[in-house]
Amino acid sequence: MNEQKFKHLLAIAGAEKPPVPSAAFAADMMRLVRGIPRLPRPLTFSLFDQLNRLFPRIATAAAAIILLCFAGEFVCTLTGLPEVGDATAQLATDNLFDVEDL
Amino acid sequence: MSDEAELLQRIRAGAMDEFAELVQRHQSRVFAVLYRYERDPQRLEDLAQETFLKAWRALDQFDARAPFEHWISRIAVRTALDHLRRAKRHQGTVGFDDLGEDVLDWLRHDDQKNELEVHGAAELLQLAMQELSPTDRVIITQLELENRSIKEIAETLNISSIAVRVRGVRARARLKKALEKISQVKTSESPK
Repeated sequence: MNEQKFKHLLAIAGAEKPPVPSAAFAADMMRLVRGIPRLPRPLTFSLFDQLNRLFPRIATAAAAIILLCFAGEFVCTLTGLPEVGDATAQLATDNLFDVEDL
Repeated sequence: MSDEAELLQRIRAGAMDEFAELVQRHQSRVFAVLYRYERDPQRLEDLAQETFLKAWRALDQFDARAPFEHWISRIAVRTALDHLRRAKRHQGTVGFDDLGEDVLDWLRHDDQKNELEVHGAAELLQLAMQELSPTDRVIITQLELENRSIKEIAETLNISSIAVRVRGVRARARLKKALEKISQVKTSESPK
């Protein structure tokens, strides 16, 4: 089927008039909806509410990271490995500027 | 506040009987949307009732960001999609035998002088659309017959705009192929 014929078919079919609802349709609908409860309005949260709801998770995540750092430092001290602070100072000395210059 | 917003506010406040006014205002639109997918008068009315029941239940969730007519039309499209999915296992509404000889003549001959009649064209299209999946059928109907935007269709069907575009192109090609298949069927046979 060529494109022009296809478009023509769509245009004609698209112009079809739908049937008119029966005169009693609205009244029938009212009989149906009586006794059917409506769903409650959805709760909407402001940005502040959302942050408040998120905060416990963020706080927990931050606390977990801090504890992990402490544990890392503790393990480094026990095993005699250079600590994070030492490594940072070394890095600064090697790449940025001499700590002694300050 | 618009007349319709006031009406909605009164219904939400408990004036239940005023819902009839809302139904009367939008029933033609709902029937028009649903008629693209269901041509049997009884089933069409059942689907319209289902649409308004859903609207009634979710009325407090309507946030008035778009006109009420858009909201109820979207519910009608989703109701039609559910219906097509349920009905897929059953026989379609339109059969090959329902097509008139003039419709088949128009389809089979490119040089046909007779103008295609509206009802016949709609029946032919419905028959061809039975070859499409329910979602593709909704997409092509919304795109080609209802002139809805890709964005609107994506929101209604809860899929991405890219998916609507891709599926729309494929559905169009499949629809053309289905029409060609119908045109090749002899009048004494029915297409499989």
